[in-house]
Amino acid sequence: MHWLKAFLTSSVGRKFVVGLTGLFLCFFLVVHLAGNLLLYVGVDAYNEYAHKLHSNEELLIIAETLLFAALIGHILIAAGLTFTNWRNARNKSYRTFDSKREDRTTPMSFAPDQTMMLTGLFVLIFLICHLSDFKFGLGWENLGESYSPAQKALLVLENTWRQGIYLVGVLFLGYHVSHGLQSAFQSLGLNHPKYMPTIRRLSVLFGLVVAIGFGSFPIAGLVRSQTNPTSVEQVSPVEGGEAVDAETPHSPEH
Amino acid sequence: MISPGKKKLKLTIRVWRQKGSNERGQFRDYLLQGISPDMSFLEMLDILNEQLLDHGEEPVAFDHDCREGICGACGVMINGQAHGPDNETTTCQLHMRRFQDGDTIVIEPWRASAFPVLRDLIVDRSPLDRIMQAGGYVSVNTGQAPDGNCLPVPRHDQESAMDGAACIGCGACVAACKNASAMLFTSAKVSQLAQLPQGQPERAQRVLNMVAQMDAEGFGSCTNTYECEAACPAGVSISHIARLNREYVKASFCSTAEPTIPMK
Ligand code: FES
Repeated sequence: MHWLKAFLTSSVGRKFVVGLTGLFLCFFLVVHLAGNLLLYVGVDAYNEYAHKLHSNEELLIIAETLLFAALIGHILIAAGLTFTNWRNARNKSYRTFDSKREDRTTPMSFAPDQTMMLTGLFVLIFLICHLSDFKFGLGWENLGESYSPAQKALLVLENTWRQGIYLVGVLFLGYHVSHGLQSAFQSLGLNHPKYMPTIRRLSVLFGLVVAIGFGSFPIAGLVRSQTNPTSVEQVSPVEGGEAVDAETPHSPEH
Repeated sequence: MISPGKKKLKLTIRVWRQKGSNERGQFRDYLLQGISPDMSFLEMLDILNEQLLDHGEEPVAFDHDCREGICGACGVMINGQAHGPDNETTTCQLHMRRFQDGDTIVIEPWRASAFPVLRDLIVDRSPLDRIMQAGGYVSVNTGQAPDGNCLPVPRHDQESAMDGAACIGCGACVAACKNASAMLFTSAKVSQLAQLPQGQPERAQRVLNMVAQMDAEGFGSCTNTYECEAACPAGVSISHIARLNREYVKASFCSTAEPTIPMK
């Protein structure tokens, strides 16, 4: 197994793993976004999707394990590489540095490829909040089992704090993947003049789709909370659920 | 092309001065007058050094050899750009007409932990040589030059291998990379030999060893920011890095070869 150790400790091998996990996470984003968009189709469609997803326990456990493994691997290896680069690669920095890349459109210090660590960090903070809301339901215990997935989602999205965190989070996510997607192809060794320009454009497009697609939910939540908030009294408990106290406030802070 | 009528330049040269690897360095400003726009950048440095000698000062040490863009010795950072502002141009091929009268030109040595400054603008680029020694060669005895078409090489492969072979080993890719990574340099040779029949016997061993040596030398790891490609005076493309990545995965998973370079 010496060869595997050599692979996983080499700079090229580690980048390969970051690329592979990154590509897998991008694939997950597509599925996730498609599922979320059902919320616009209708509450019932979204609920049905959520129930179907949760009906196959084994598959869900496998998928979630894979997903968490990919996420954690992606973060740990990328962070490890970045910190080594920061610490070791250049013991003295340049007095001035000016890019020679003619295709740079953003100022160097804000460019997606220069800020992957930072944008990744913001995405991580957002993810922690997002998982605590939707996966573990922390702060939303009062909703119990009596609400349908769609109703829970709507309530979370109408919370002002969540709107802010989610919007900022997905904007950073879009920025992150706009470099990440094409970078993953490069790290996996998939670069050929016949398709790389398309991949690079696709990568930017993907970043936009992610930012706008996911970003639309907190914005829609904001609009709804201003005009027609989903009050707890309004939503009817799912059949078989406990009756809900009509006074239960829907904000987790209470 | 000598054009004596052109306006001579007056320049401030802000150059890094450092007596030795263990000395502290600092920037020094020198005023230069009467610089012809037709001079090459290195000729301008020659004039500067003559002026320094006249004043009894140590001349600025800089690396150079061919002065025609093929040896890769002359790389320095000019106003924050490796080899200066022109694309696919070495420092020795850069001309003073690219600068304006009254400009201040900042000249720094390559900066990378793997490239310690030896003196002024000269850095120790021997880590690149050691990467080459780890596998950037073909050890099959080729005998006499074979007949022209004995070894069939498709034109595409030959062109692409030539693109990799164009690397002059100047180190600009390391200098321009925010991680001081030597991936473009290493990949140029790996890619060149992987595409030629002579390179096949050692194909897997080569990539494993060259990457192991690159890591051991303390170069940073590539994060795909592609500054190297833009800075490369030989126009080596990052598609060679992708080929190196491919070769590395293939060598790791589909061959019995293992790196023989001790890991760091
Ligand atoms: S001196 Fe040889 S490339 Fe510039």
